Amino acid sequence: MSRPALRRVRPAGHGGVTIAGLLLVVALGLTALLASHVVPGSPTDIAKDRALRPPTWTQPFGMDDLGRSILSRVVHAYRVSLGVAVASVALALLVGVPLGLVAGYAEGALDQLIMRPLDVLMSFPAILLAIALTSVFGTGVLLVALSLAVVYTPIVARVVRAAILAVKVEVYVDGARALGAPVPRLVLRHILPNAATPVLVQASVLMAIAILVEAALSFLGVGVRPPTPSLGLMLADGRGFMLQAPWMVIFPGLAIMAAVLGFNMVADGLRDWLDPQQAADR
Amino acid sequence: MLLAVPLLLGMSVLIFALMRLVPGDPAVAVLGYKATPEGIRALREAFHLDEPVPQQYLRWLGAAARGDLGHDFRQNEPIGRMILDRLPVTLELTLLAALCTTLIGVPLGLLAGGRRGGAADRAALAVGLVGVSIPDFWLGIMLILGLSLGAGLLPSGGWVPFAESPMDNLIHLTLPALTLAVSRAAVLGRLTRAAVLDIMHRSFVQYARAKGLGERAILFRHVLPNAAIPIVTVVGLQVGYMLGGAIVVEMIFTLPGLGRMTMDAVLERNYPVVQSAVLVIGAMFMLVNLATDVLYGVIDPRARRR
Repeated sequence: MSRPALRRVRPAGHGGVTIAGLLLVVALGLTALLASHVVPGSPTDIAKDRALRPPTWTQPFGMDDLGRSILSRVVHAYRVSLGVAVASVALALLVGVPLGLVAGYAEGALDQLIMRPLDVLMSFPAILLAIALTSVFGTGVLLVALSLAVVYTPIVARVVRAAILAVKVEVYVDGARALGAPVPRLVLRHILPNAATPVLVQASVLMAIAILVEAALSFLGVGVRPPTPSLGLMLADGRGFMLQAPWMVIFPGLAIMAAVLGFNMVADGLRDWLDPQQAADR
Repeated sequence: MLLAVPLLLGMSVLIFALMRLVPGDPAVAVLGYKATPEGIRALREAFHLDEPVPQQYLRWLGAAARGDLGHDFRQNEPIGRMILDRLPVTLELTLLAALCTTLIGVPLGLLAGGRRGGAADRAALAVGLVGVSIPDFWLGIMLILGLSLGAGLLPSGGWVPFAESPMDNLIHLTLPALTLAVSRAAVLGRLTRAAVLDIMHRSFVQYARAKGLGERAILFRHVLPNAAIPIVTVVGLQVGYMLGGAIVVEMIFTLPGLGRMTMDAVLERNYPVVQSAVLVIGAMFMLVNLATDVLYGVIDPRARRR
């Protein structure tokens, strides 16, 4: 039970979650970057005599139906997972931030012109839109990243627009305007930096979702194409061997979860750190 | 609600344009290696593929407005019929999952928010964070592995119509609905907790406490009714998201729903079916979101005045 007068401004114990999340994300990122240096064996070497071998000390994730090391495949698949996530979120920010900025600052007709078409994109469930896009433009790492960027751009634009609308009525913005600051300077120096908080949080959440959606698309057969190791594809392959070799589905799934968890923790922490008032309620 | 019309029009233009961007001639894609020039011409004529694109769009839209979604490229079945046949499966799955979400998420949030910082709160927070991060298709596979292949408790897939055997129908939907519900329940739990904590600090709760009311009575009589507004909003939004999630879940549990139909059509490049199915699911998603907005006003009289 808590009384308002005694409420702490900072929530206890939350810093730990943030740091753990950051560590997890950094560790996974480094693993992906250094893939071939950190794991024994190649992700594509086929050896029939090792097929479906259960986890051992040297191969803690076991072997798949073609005798490939699952640990090595998971680590290499992180490259695809994180690569697609980073590329799609970066692209969505690159397009979405200016759109939201202009819409929020201009309001009126220009706002409508920008936001209405984006509303249409947001009227589809994200995964459905991504499936429709990849079914038309084709599968593969690059096209999946592009499709996800299309799905995310309206979300980013909407968050930026809302933040700009809130910030631009602040007194310090009026002050800068009264002092004769030109519009670009006003927007870039005074408005945008103060609207950055929700955008950062959203970007972190989108990273988590991107990893999930890429895995789902690949799992469904409309994402990354087979020779490339992908966590979703590994799950799809493993389903056929679920009973003989449950490790084929357990570890790739845990790998997806670890990455998603990391970004969700970072998002949570960022939200609290940047917005301590609300954090006290969380 | 008037907003729905321009949005629906925009959605139809988008999907139609998208499907026309498919590389190559759809007629050739359908007929494949057996394509003869005559066959291609006949198919193009039958599906009006040689008309100008705006005219094709208007023809499709006009027919769709009358409930005629055209025929599919392969079996020449009416697409409207195909969708109607599969709709009940997806709707039942979504509604059951929404029920599970509420039954798991709200108690979780109440438990956590009722005693902030306690052991239950910490546990619920951890469960929530992990739950949000579980990929639902993986959860589905794990549930099949553990509960149906391992313990033999529940079937791993398939569908029995409700009219045939209500019990069998529910048994077959238990795992799919749970799969769809877990991560959404985690989100709902986190939100319920935040709402409860917010309301706990309001003066009327302080007053109730000063009056000597027990914590339990405060939680259920004063806090929960006020927390209902954000809870209902989030459940409504989640029903929408579940329409997307249902695609994956129907594929894993081999349920003959709308999502599976869409996916099958995507994989066999049956574009007329993809086009209509995406529009129908998208329209349902949008209408659920609009309905949530309206419901919000019904529950919270304060929102109507704004």
